[in-house]
Amino acid sequence: MKLLFKFFILITPILFLFMFYLLLTEDNSYPGADYDTQNFPIFELETLSGKKIVNTNINDKALLLNVWASWCITCRVEHSYLMYLNKQGIPILGLNYKDEKEDAINWLKKYGNPYKDNIHDYKGSLALDLGVTGAPETFLIINGQVVAHYQGEVNETIWNDVFLPIIDEKRIF
Amino acid sequence: MNLTRKRRIYNILLVLLFSISGIFMILYSLNTNLDYFFTPSELMKREISSNKRIKIGGMVLSGSVKRQGSVISFVITDYENSIDVIYEGIVPDLFKEDSGVVALGYLQNDIFEAEEVLAKHDENYMPPSIEIKNDN
Amino acid sequence: MIIEISHFFTILATGLFLLSGIFAVSIKNTEYVSNLISRTYTHAFLFLLISFSLYVWLAATDNFSVLYIASHSNSDLPIFYKISSIWSAHEGSMFLWIVFLALWGYLFNFNITQANPIKSLAIGIMSLIIVGFLLFLLLTSNPFQTILPIPPSNGADINPVLQDPALVIHPPTLYLGYVGFGIPFACALAFLIRGNTEIEWELMVQKWSVVAWIFLTIGITLGSWWAYYELGWGGYWFWDPVENVALMPWLAATAFIHSLSVSIKSKRLRVWTLLLSILVFSLSLFGAFIVRSGIIDSVHSFANDPERGLYLLGFISVIIITSLVLFVIRFSKIQSMIRIKRFSKESFISINNIFFGVLVFSVMLGVIYPLIYEYLFNQKISVGAPFYTAIFSPIVLVACIFLIFSIDSKWSREFKFNLMNLPIIFSTTLSIFITFVFIFLYEIDDIYINLLIFVGFLIIFRYIFEIYKLISAKKYINPFSAMAHMALGLLLISISLNSVLSSERAMSIKIDETESYKDLTIYFQNINLSEAYNYDSIEADLLVQTTNGESFLLSPEKRRYFTRGQITTETAIHASLLRDIYMTIGDQLDDGSWVVNIQINYLIRWIWFSAILMCMAGIMLIFSKKRLRR
Repeated sequence: MKLLFKFFILITPILFLFMFYLLLTEDNSYPGADYDTQNFPIFELETLSGKKIVNTNINDKALLLNVWASWCITCRVEHSYLMYLNKQGIPILGLNYKDEKEDAINWLKKYGNPYKDNIHDYKGSLALDLGVTGAPETFLIINGQVVAHYQGEVNETIWNDVFLPIIDEKRIF
Repeated sequence: MNLTRKRRIYNILLVLLFSISGIFMILYSLNTNLDYFFTPSELMKREISSNKRIKIGGMVLSGSVKRQGSVISFVITDYENSIDVIYEGIVPDLFKEDSGVVALGYLQNDIFEAEEVLAKHDENYMPPSIEIKNDN
Repeated sequence: MIIEISHFFTILATGLFLLSGIFAVSIKNTEYVSNLISRTYTHAFLFLLISFSLYVWLAATDNFSVLYIASHSNSDLPIFYKISSIWSAHEGSMFLWIVFLALWGYLFNFNITQANPIKSLAIGIMSLIIVGFLLFLLLTSNPFQTILPIPPSNGADINPVLQDPALVIHPPTLYLGYVGFGIPFACALAFLIRGNTEIEWELMVQKWSVVAWIFLTIGITLGSWWAYYELGWGGYWFWDPVENVALMPWLAATAFIHSLSVSIKSKRLRVWTLLLSILVFSLSLFGAFIVRSGIIDSVHSFANDPERGLYLLGFISVIIITSLVLFVIRFSKIQSMIRIKRFSKESFISINNIFFGVLVFSVMLGVIYPLIYEYLFNQKISVGAPFYTAIFSPIVLVACIFLIFSIDSKWSREFKFNLMNLPIIFSTTLSIFITFVFIFLYEIDDIYINLLIFVGFLIIFRYIFEIYKLISAKKYINPFSAMAHMALGLLLISISLNSVLSSERAMSIKIDETESYKDLTIYFQNINLSEAYNYDSIEADLLVQTTNGESFLLSPEKRRYFTRGQITTETAIHASLLRDIYMTIGDQLDDGSWVVNIQINYLIRWIWFSAILMCMAGIMLIFSKKRLRR
């Protein structure tokens, strides 16, 4: 009886804790990541510099699309890592999301510009078609197809765990 | 078998009986009181009886919100499938078109009658003000 | 610059706490060593306090080069919201949590004499726990991170729903409660390590535990009150996972305090008391894990990061498993050989422990079952109020019946039931009578509700008789227990009546129109649009008249905040002793009318009042001069 009790007292919490370990280390441990493939939506918008841009303009073999805004503090945090990625030679297209043009341009002037170009999506229409729910979000696009999507701040860990496996697999960049 | 031993076994059996029946009762009431969560696409694939309380989640389809008296109707979509929802009462503050929503209620003839509507609420992750149009 | 100093002081404090912990567990306890531990701890705490004060100062002076402050505060906010923004998200609230844990340890260190045989060991254990959490803070969720070289010119603002006085004090109170149970836990562990059954650790920690329990109770009550008037749903408890993780330690702590009093009085149930002290603190830590690992998606939970979750889980596992292994090793030694007499007060309290245990287990199941289910079957489910009602109603009912019998029972003595004594007959008839009055007056047909109302009244009347006996015949009863239990009776009655009597209706109404609901006539006077410094608002004026001639103006409001564009509901509440008239305003319809939701919430104030009454009983116990020992 006593032994049974002792055993029970020890084994129950251990089982509980182990269960939480399993829950935490489940494959989908990055809740912001998904790998659903979708065609890049058709759109017609302007860039921050006022040029017209449509979906066929995105004809790079592979690029990163980063949704950002000047009102978004997390984007400010992510910014330095994007600068680093840009230096590594990874093409990044910005999607300026629900932002005043002036604010956005000032922001880039003040902190630096990691983007090769910026789509100005004031109403969030393209973002909606992409399934964006906020900023920052980042998409990996290969030949006009979205292959990976991450909601939230991209940093070294996220880059290595969420994006690099696909990049290595597809041999891009 | 001596008396103390007999009593001991008796006690163990009693404790086991009580805990097993207790756990069974708790699990039983847990199972009868669960709310299942579906997205509109998952809903299409299943038969759900009209007396089972479920939750559905997705985005409010833009342009679908209509009001009639105190009854509000809208469409929840996951951009693949969608479902019509009706609800009587005041929708939460964060409820708006093109934003996340969870409704709790019953499915009656392909129309979801919601008892409760919750809008998705997230601290760190909020689109800015310009989008919100004043509907008045 | 200041942020680096603050950061440095926290690192310094971590080192000193570690030192104090190492001294305590590795060096033989002499007077010199115990003084050393005590002093090291004090200094470590002071460094941590300086660091936190600097951080508060940075928040108050809008230093947006600190990432955390920039993300959660804004220069337009009033000063107290700038400060409270520290605990509005993960990193800062974790910092506060640790400071409070260290604060309890400091007060304990200050209050207990150096001669106490387990003091320095307990302080050492506290130090090691603090080190674990400080490392968590510094390694995975650093609040000292800066945005340099160019800081943003303004911060992001905190969620307007959280810009509320009740919410400024709700998290700190709750945290004080959670971490307060670190003291009994550390003492229990020290007691187990020393293994000397002569040490009376229970008496040492009683007041500390009651204080922590009071904070936890106030914290939970404040949260419930805030949700009621701020969220606009009109409920006081939602069985949200995060509410549940606060409820679990509360239930366990309540059982612990009961069990503690037995262990102090008659050295029995010591095994239970030890186990409960471990359980309470483990549940507090578990709460921190659930909220901070992002494992549960809830209104309250902080941002997701699996790394944080793993660290916390690992650290909590070490604490829980170490303490339980110690417990199992010492089990035979502490186990009391004295059998508990049937129907003695001890027997009732041990039954009470079991009931509380079952409640904790059920709530735990409700929290984790959806997680397991999703993991195994890849199907999302949720457990709602019906489950908790189905579990709580019968268990609370039976537990209260035991409570009523326990009133007459004696410590360490068998108790013979004599149902034919005057107080029992009288209070039972009175309660039955009142219950029937309610049943006929309000046509209540729910059997559990009726029984709970009956039991609630019975508890109150039984104690009134006891108090009468105390005054007239000088028979001793425990006044704190009487008060707390009467509050429980009141709580049962208010919750039951609230659940059956309250009602609500959503109506669409135009300006100058009159609508009626139950005994109320509602006249829509007009609508005002106005603008304040950080939001604009729509406010409706509705004149409500009751049939007995009372009339009052209710002005529910909707606000739109500029910084985030978030819309919030400001409810209008007319509170009276018996009921609240609770009004919220929705959208305008195409025909120009407005959706207005009206709720009549009966006895809702009494629910919180009962909780406050329970706390009062605890506060009286703290300040009573009488030592709670025979």
